[in-house]
Amino acid sequence: MLENIAFQVVNGLIMGAIYALMALGLNLIWSITDVPEFSQGGIYVIAAYGGYFVTVSARLPSFVGLFAAMATGAVLAFSFEKLLYRRMRGMTLNLLLTAIALFFLLANVAIWLWTPKAKFLPPYVAGEVGFLGLQIGRQRLLVLVLSALLFLLVNLFVWRTKLGKAIRAASQDRETAQLMGINIDTVNSVVFGLGGALSGTAAALISPLYAVYPAMGDLPLLKALVVVILGGLGSVNGVLVAGSILGVVESLGAAFISSAYQHGFAFFILILVLLLRPRGLFGRM
Amino acid sequence: MTTSARRPLSRVVLVLSAVIIGLVFIALPLAASEYVVYVMVLAFLFAALTASYDLLLGYTGQLSFAQGAFYGVGAYTSALLTLRTGMPFWVALPVTGVFVFLLAAGVGYPALKLRGAYFAVTTFFFAHFVYLVFLNSVTLTGGPLGLGGIRPPEAIHLPGVGTVSFASLRAYYYLVGVFFFAVILFLHFLVRSRLGRLFVSIREDEVLAESIGVNTAACKVLSFSISAALAGLAGGLFAHFFRLLHPSTFAWMTSEMVVIMTLVGGTGTLFGPVLGAGIVTFILELMRFAPELRFIVWAVALIAVLVFEPRGLAGIAARLFRRPA
Repeated sequence: MLENIAFQVVNGLIMGAIYALMALGLNLIWSITDVPEFSQGGIYVIAAYGGYFVTVSARLPSFVGLFAAMATGAVLAFSFEKLLYRRMRGMTLNLLLTAIALFFLLANVAIWLWTPKAKFLPPYVAGEVGFLGLQIGRQRLLVLVLSALLFLLVNLFVWRTKLGKAIRAASQDRETAQLMGINIDTVNSVVFGLGGALSGTAAALISPLYAVYPAMGDLPLLKALVVVILGGLGSVNGVLVAGSILGVVESLGAAFISSAYQHGFAFFILILVLLLRPRGLFGRM
Repeated sequence: MTTSARRPLSRVVLVLSAVIIGLVFIALPLAASEYVVYVMVLAFLFAALTASYDLLLGYTGQLSFAQGAFYGVGAYTSALLTLRTGMPFWVALPVTGVFVFLLAAGVGYPALKLRGAYFAVTTFFFAHFVYLVFLNSVTLTGGPLGLGGIRPPEAIHLPGVGTVSFASLRAYYYLVGVFFFAVILFLHFLVRSRLGRLFVSIREDEVLAESIGVNTAACKVLSFSISAALAGLAGGLFAHFFRLLHPSTFAWMTSEMVVIMTLVGGTGTLFGPVLGAGIVTFILELMRFAPELRFIVWAVALIAVLVFEPRGLAGIAARLFRRPA
């Protein structure tokens, strides 16, 4: 029993890490540029296929596939911002609609080009490791370690670099930041590229554990949105905490309450937290 | 913007266009093929969905992604009431409307305390949760196997016309059409009523509305629930038309489609969302020959509209018909 709980917690943390990676990009984009970037769900799918073709079809090493997925995500998000979102700055409804349309578009392009059939790819690292009496797949462990590393890097980037400072300034007050000589277009491009890369990474890391298929982005997008709102818009730590909570609750709930409603628990956590604390766990108003 | 260039429609023109629309509505099933009538039924249902959604989004200013979920709840409720309790359709439909209204009030009361994007994402999740219920309560809804054996509405006796059986497609077309026009008329008068003006005051500035004494919380819940109840009624009509329900019909895509149709048409106009629903339904039907391409073409077209005419089709229409002074 205790072992089962521990096992579920670890599994939950791994799923939570995937949600959090995607939510981190979404949160940065949403809080800094005011774009509710639903198209990340589609970017996630295309990036996963990118990784798949590089590792399985081109037979290149897995880490090349990971970088391919990262690059695919970054390029897609970067170009969406440059070509579309930039023209609608400030029009929230149109931005949201465009983002949803792009999500539709990418998921359906995947169906059209590569059929709805699931594709499978080998894990980056095979085998399992024993840890406190638990057997954990090395791939799962890799997901945890890489996500933690990425969080650290993004934190360092936002807090320790000049560009990061510009991004923080822009997120506080876009107009004043512009008056101080910050190029808002550059900030937007960087933030979108970063967000896309994070979604791409999440997709590439998860695909060996499950599969690559056109609808694979639906649930992670939903969960990432919840994580953003739960954690609070504009909070990197909030993403980390909310992602872990959501992953663990889902995993435990599926194991001990009902596996059919695994993806419904998020709804209750969301309602509960928003009623008690409408700005999210760590959100600023 | 010049308001003087826009002449008020004279009463004659209004009556004349109503007569023409009425005649086309009555004559269409006599002239058109079964297929066209079938698509018209779907278009009417979607138009009722988008018009009622416009009350919430266009007039009250609340973005929700749950309209498709209420449509689904209405469909399943009405179907189950007739199947399990033997209730006649004509009783089950109003009961469904009341049920969906109460459900929406129960969900809307806590959810509408949230604003903007927070509310939107919560409804997004509510819709997903409803879909999970359809999919997993196998004993009630049949789960992924679907719910079949739904009967068409009972025949009724109309004085002067005779007995009307709604088992035929054409009779159902008239039923859904009458429902659609009733919804439009109801909404038309609602948004011009005192209550409708309170809704608009929330859309324009919620804080200001509250400060001058508008009970914004109650108004928002009311708008949400009315809009949901109308969607539930449309869902009930869909259930007894299609006679087979499947959870995937009410997955998140449906709610997104309602939002998109409404926005494509232009919010806060009632006319725009109806046009949006009609055009989108027909475009998707026209593209049935290439099913894998139709959502791609559709998404690209939508993005193009958003980039070039952000006000939607109503904006394009305004551009065409409103000459500069």
